[in-house]
Amino acid sequence: MLRKRRSLLGLSIATALTVGMTACSAPATAPSAAGSGSDDAAPVSNGAAQVAITLSNDGGDTCTLDHASAAAGPVTFTVTNASSTAITEVELQSDLKIIGEKENLAPGLPSSSFTVTLSGGTYTVYCPGGQPETQQFTVTGEAAAAPTGSAAQVLTAGTTEYAAWVVTQAEDLQTAVSTLRKAVDAGDLDAAKTAYVRARPFYEKIESDVEGFVLSGYAVDDNSGNLDYLIDMRASSLDDKVGWSGFHAVERSLYKDQRITDETKGYAAGLETNVGRLVTLVKALTYKPEDLANGAASLLEEVQANKITGEEEEFSHIDLVDFASNLEGAKQAFACLQPGLEKIDPELTAEVAAQFASVDKALAPYEDSTAAGGYIPWTAANRATHAKGLSQTVLALQQPLQRIAEKVATAN
Amino acid sequence: MQQEDNAIPGPAETPPGPEGVHDHEEAEAREASPRRGLSRRGLFAGAAGSVVAGALLGAGGTAAAYSAGRADTASDEADAVDLSAAVPFYDQGHQAGIVTPPQRYATFMTFDLADSATTTDLQVLLARWTAAIGQMVQGLPIGVVEPSRPDAVGVDTGEAVGLNPASLTVTVGLGPGVFDDRFGLASKRPALLADLERIPGDRLDPALSGGDLSVQACADDPQVAYHAVRNLARMVTTTAQTRWVVMGFGRASAGAGQQTPRNLFGFKDGTRNVTGEAEHDRFVWLDDAGWMAGGTYQVVRKIRMTIESWDADRVSDQQSVFGRTKDEGAPLGGAAEFDTPDFVRTDDSGTPVIDPLSHIALAAPENNAGVKILRRSYNYTDGLNAQGLLDAGLLFVSYQNDPAHFVTLQHKLGRFDLLNEYIQHIGSAVFAVPPGPARGGYIGQALFA
Repeated sequence: MLRKRRSLLGLSIATALTVGMTACSAPATAPSAAGSGSDDAAPVSNGAAQVAITLSNDGGDTCTLDHASAAAGPVTFTVTNASSTAITEVELQSDLKIIGEKENLAPGLPSSSFTVTLSGGTYTVYCPGGQPETQQFTVTGEAAAAPTGSAAQVLTAGTTEYAAWVVTQAEDLQTAVSTLRKAVDAGDLDAAKTAYVRARPFYEKIESDVEGFVLSGYAVDDNSGNLDYLIDMRASSLDDKVGWSGFHAVERSLYKDQRITDETKGYAAGLETNVGRLVTLVKALTYKPEDLANGAASLLEEVQANKITGEEEEFSHIDLVDFASNLEGAKQAFACLQPGLEKIDPELTAEVAAQFASVDKALAPYEDSTAAGGYIPWTAANRATHAKGLSQTVLALQQPLQRIAEKVATAN
Repeated sequence: MQQEDNAIPGPAETPPGPEGVHDHEEAEAREASPRRGLSRRGLFAGAAGSVVAGALLGAGGTAAAYSAGRADTASDEADAVDLSAAVPFYDQGHQAGIVTPPQRYATFMTFDLADSATTTDLQVLLARWTAAIGQMVQGLPIGVVEPSRPDAVGVDTGEAVGLNPASLTVTVGLGPGVFDDRFGLASKRPALLADLERIPGDRLDPALSGGDLSVQACADDPQVAYHAVRNLARMVTTTAQTRWVVMGFGRASAGAGQQTPRNLFGFKDGTRNVTGEAEHDRFVWLDDAGWMAGGTYQVVRKIRMTIESWDADRVSDQQSVFGRTKDEGAPLGGAAEFDTPDFVRTDDSGTPVIDPLSHIALAAPENNAGVKILRRSYNYTDGLNAQGLLDAGLLFVSYQNDPAHFVTLQHKLGRFDLLNEYIQHIGSAVFAVPPGPARGGYIGQALFA
C-alpha cells in the first residue's frame, strides 16, 4: 500500500492536482562507446537489414554487434546469449526511448529477434550489465515509414479516457454513500448493510488514484486532514488522536455491534462529506501513462496486502468484493494503456493480458450470487483454504505488470 | 538423524568445492551479528580463516562445548569459514551443493509449475535460473539493483549487495510432475523418479510435501542463501508458484575435513556419511543414465522433533535410542566417535550393547546390504507451535543414485526406530537433480534437445 502524500494548498486550487509528480525523466545513460560491429552496413535479407548481437562472457560480460550500421528501413536484431550470465536483456533506444528490446536472455536458449523500422540517425544499443553497457548504432538514409500515431500519442489518449472513467466511479461512489447515509439515518440495519456493500466497490476501483490527499490547512502527518484516513481507515491504522472514521467505522457498527447509534450516524455523515470533497478533487486530476501503470500495480498490492489477508473488511468479510473491485480498477488502467503499450512491447502486453485472465479465472469459483456483494464471505476458514492459491495467482500478474510503468514512461 | 551409521569416517580427498570453507557453529553464532555491515572480506581475508576463528573462540570465552573431550585439534582450524570463498558452478560435471562440504545455512524451497506454464516457459525458467545462479555464486547481483529509469523495477532485490559469495551453492531439482503429460517430457523421465511411496510412520502434510521444482541454496551467510532463493522465486512468478520452504540454520551433516555437527537432539549426525570420490561415484552419482548421467536423486524430509520430551529424557535412554554416547559420539561399547559399531556384542546378561532397534543399528550399512546414502541435512526451526512448544527439527536431505535406497532404510526406521517416539516425518519430496551445466548452457538443457 504505497501512499503518495499529496498536500493541497486548497481544495479550490484544482490545477495543483496532478497525480504522480515525477516528470518523464530519461535514464542517465548515454552512448559510451562506438559500436562494436564492423563499419559495414548490415546485409539485407528477408526484406530487413540483419544485425546479430552476441552476449558472451570471456572474463567480462560483453555485448557484441556484428554490424554497427544499417540502411534506413526495417532492421532485424537477432540476439544470442552465448555465455553471459550478467546480461539478460538488450534494448534499442532512440533518444533514450525504448524502441525495441529482448528480455529473458540466458545462455543456452535459442536466439531471439526483434524487427523495427528505423529512419536515419544515431541509435543506442543498451545491454544492462555488459561492458560497455551502451553502444552506438547508426542508420543511414531517410525515414522509410512514418508511424500513424506514436505510442506516446496513443498512451496520452488512453490516460484521458481513464481520467473520465475515474470521475464516473467517483460520482457513483458519492451516490452510493448518500444512500448509505440515508439508510443509517433511518436506522435500517439491513438496508444500511446492503448500501455499504454496494458503495465499497466504487472506492476500491479507484483507490490508487484517490489516496494520499491532505486537506487544506492540515499538516501531512495529521490524520484529521487526511482524506484517505477519514474515508478508509481501519483498526490497524487507527490513530487514537483522530479516532474511528469513514467506511470501516460504519462497517464496525453494522456488522460487529449490529446496531445503529448516533455515533454511527455521525460516521456516515462524515463519510458523505469527505467523499464529496474527494469527488471535487478527482474531477481535476490528470494522469501520465506511468500513473496508470503504477496505479494498477498499487491496486494489486492492495489486493495482496489487505484483501487476501482479510484485513480490509474485518467485520463484513466482503474482502473478495474489494478484491474484484481493485482488480477491475487495475484492468481499466491497463486497458487504457493497452493500445499504446502494444506498440512498445507486444509481448509484455500479451503476457499481462493473459495474467489478468488467469486472475479472473482464479477468482471466479468464489462467486456466490446469494452472498452480499456476490462473493463468498472471506472468513478465516475460507482464507485458510483459498488464500494461497489466490495470492500466488495475483503475484504472477504483479510481476509483468510492474514492468509497464518503465515502458510507457519512456514512450515516444 | 537418519542412517546415523552410514559412512566411513575421517577426512578423505576433498570433493569439488571451496578450500577453507569449514565450520564452527559457536564461532559463527557469536560473531555473525556484529559482522554484518562490516566488510567480511576484511575479517576473513584469504586463508586466514583458521586464525580468526581461534581468536573469536578466545574472545568469546567459551570453548566449543561439543568438542570437549575430543582430541582432534585439526577440527577447530578446519571449521573456520572463509566468507570470500566461492564454489565453482559451471563445467563441474555435477551440480554444486551435493558433495560440496556443507555450508552453515540453507534455504530450501520447492515450487509448483503454474497451470498455464508451457514447455518453453519451463525451458526459459531453467535457463534464467542457471544464469542467475552463475551470477550469485560469484557474489554478484543478478541484474541492476537501482535502475536509472525512475519507473523501472530493480532486477536484483539488493539485500546481498556488499556481501561475499559465502560459498553459495544453489542446487536445482526436477520433481516427478515435470515429467507428467503437461510438458511433453514424459519420455525424458529419469528412470527412477517417482513419488515416494507411503512409508510406515509417515505423518505427511501435503502442504509441506512434494513440488515440481526444488531449489536448495546453501551458504555460510544466511542472507546470501535467502537472497538467492528469493530472487529465483521472484523472476519466475508467472511460471512457478512457491510451495513450501524450510530455512536451515545449522548444518547437521559433515563433509570431508569437517567435524561432525549435531542435530537438535544434541547428538552427532553423519559420523559415517558417504565420503570421498570413490564412494560418491558408487552411491551418489548416476552413471549410464542418459541425459541424467552425472546427476543424482534428492530426497527431502521435514522431520519434526518433540524437543521438550526429548530434553526430559534421561541421558542413558537417549544414548540407547541413538546407539551412541552423547558427548563423544562413540558407538555404545566403543570409546571414540569413529570406532566401528559392534552390533553383535552383548553384556553379561546377554542383552545387546547396541539395541538392535537403536537408530544406528537400523541404519547401518552392515545391516542393510551395504546401502549408503549421502546425507546433507540442516536443523530448522519454525518458532513455536500452537501449544507454545518449540517447533523445530531436521530438514533431512539425502542424495543417492536410487531413491529406493532411502525408501528401504526408512521402511525399517519408520517401523522400528526407537527415535520415533521423538520425531515425526511431516514433509517429503523427491527430485531428480540433473548434471551440472557447462558454461553457455543451463541445468536440464538436455530435456529440450
